[in-house]
Amino acid sequence: MIFIGLIITLLGFALSVASLGMASSVNARLVMVVAGIAVSLFGIMGILNPAYLKNAIWRK
Amino acid sequence: MKKPITLAFLAMALVAAGLAQAPPAAAPPGGAPPAAAAAPVAVPITDADLKGIEAPKPELRLKGDPDGALTGTVADVAVADPITDKTPKAKGLTIADVVNQIGQNKIGINFTWTLMCGFLVMFMQAGFAIVETGLCRAKNANHTMMMNFAVYSVGLLAYWLIGFSIQMGGVGGVANLGGAPTLNSEYAITLFGKSMGLFGQNGFFLTHSGTYDVGVMVVFLFQMVFMDTALTIVTGSCAERWKLVAFVVSSFMLGAFIYPLFGNWAWGGGWLATLGTNFGLGKGYCDFAGSGVVHSVGGLSALAIAMMIGPRLGKYTRQGKSNPIVGHDIVIVLLGCLILAFGWFGFNPGSTLGASGNGNLRISSVAVNTMLAGMAGFFSSMLYMWMRYGKPDASMSGNGLLAGLVAITAPSGFVNPVASVIIGLIGGLLVCLSVEFVDRVLKVDDPVGAISVHGANGLWGVIAVGLFADGKSNYGGSWNGVSGSVTGLFYGDASQLVAQLIGVSTLIGFVFVLVFVVNLGIDALVGQRSSAKSELEGLDLPEIGQLGYPEFELKAKA
Repeated sequence: MIFIGLIITLLGFALSVASLGMASSVNARLVMVVAGIAVSLFGIMGILNPAYLKNAIWRK
Repeated sequence: MKKPITLAFLAMALVAAGLAQAPPAAAPPGGAPPAAAAAPVAVPITDADLKGIEAPKPELRLKGDPDGALTGTVADVAVADPITDKTPKAKGLTIADVVNQIGQNKIGINFTWTLMCGFLVMFMQAGFAIVETGLCRAKNANHTMMMNFAVYSVGLLAYWLIGFSIQMGGVGGVANLGGAPTLNSEYAITLFGKSMGLFGQNGFFLTHSGTYDVGVMVVFLFQMVFMDTALTIVTGSCAERWKLVAFVVSSFMLGAFIYPLFGNWAWGGGWLATLGTNFGLGKGYCDFAGSGVVHSVGGLSALAIAMMIGPRLGKYTRQGKSNPIVGHDIVIVLLGCLILAFGWFGFNPGSTLGASGNGNLRISSVAVNTMLAGMAGFFSSMLYMWMRYGKPDASMSGNGLLAGLVAITAPSGFVNPVASVIIGLIGGLLVCLSVEFVDRVLKVDDPVGAISVHGANGLWGVIAVGLFADGKSNYGGSWNGVSGSVTGLFYGDASQLVAQLIGVSTLIGFVFVLVFVVNLGIDALVGQRSSAKSELEGLDLPEIGQLGYPEFELKAKA
């Protein structure tokens, strides 16, 4: 899950960078970049962190 | 119900006052036509003008100079071809000498300003050290101080060896500092038909490719202390359970590769800086003094490593409920916050990299913005804690001050005082909410709140540029190679906000991942976390071999 979390976080960044080539209007770029940020945050908080919490020291 | 309404009204009034300055006045009140600006009058100076200028007589100087009228005269201007007894036909003082002296004075002023500000930023290490140590338990005091001390050395060497060239080796020359033409080799790739810089290639060891240069040295010193600030943020979040050897390796990697890479993209002519010239996004990614480059990089690195090494023993119950672990010395915590606030006057105003020429007199505005946002952050966090918990929490108020300062770091050179207060107020609230979120929802243990202070507020600062930049700043007529002033969404340029958000996405989606992967490797090689036995005993003896407070016997509460 850690690996998947990292990949998804990176995908968010890739989406933001892709906005530079795939869109030319400011609004379209804005939407893509915000979506990219949301994907990255999901990767960190939704996948990566829960993967660590599953084996957290306080659960043992 | 009255308090929230009053606060909301206050906030609206501040916003309205700030935005009221948005549109540039087309005509002065009353409709009168604007007065024509007086054309500058060129006064030609000839060598004849210099004839009457004489140095004070030596006998006058021998009587002393109590009012300073005789010190700093023509006698102090360097003359290329001086008239002496042996060279009576020499040219003596010429226009060229005078002009050269003016040029050197300008660069001298800018060198002095930038170096002094760099020294102030270096002193922030002391602030960070005692804030972090005070917020930790006494049994880890020496370990925490040692990490803060060691990071200065480890970071400096890493940056000198590799980091500086990666960050500034491409386009590191600064006109304010006389230029540094040897910092001119940027590795770039072509993407979407545009050249996008990735890293610099000149300046290794500060000798490579002619970089043994006075201007380069100023750039290095100033950038180095910034880099070290980012590194020292991590030590706070990972305190009380981070193995020293892992900290040393991790800090080296951060100072040598990770920080400089993002630093290059933002400040060294890299692809984020050229978003304006390449893709028409405002003036490119703008980060005046480093909310993103310094604080977000530090804060997100702290999040990655703190997540990886896990919370301190006893921080969470088996049910996942958070237990507060109180620091041992709130007095030095608040003193440290004040030291940091003082050092921030080097951080932000110093980021003009000069005090003379190219719009650099705006240092006064930058300094006032810094002061306002810091105090606004303190005020809003104090108020929030007071209203929510019945007491104004001292450590959180201190964090509010730092949050305001972090948030204004990127916009400080581009916004007006009203916007600064708004940015600071939001920063102070954000840090309180973020600390609760990180602690209770993410269950990431952050003993000093650095993830929230630097990570969350760093990102907020980057976004704030895209919202509040008022288009009134002018640093030599352009920024990142795009002519005009940095202008945010509220002042008419939405594309600047997009550039800022791409920076935010890069920090969250790329820098975080890079830090995580590097530290996974370090974890596999040397292990990140100290043993449970060492942690319970306190890391002072097991890791450093000396107690922070040897004369005191630490007793458990009955």
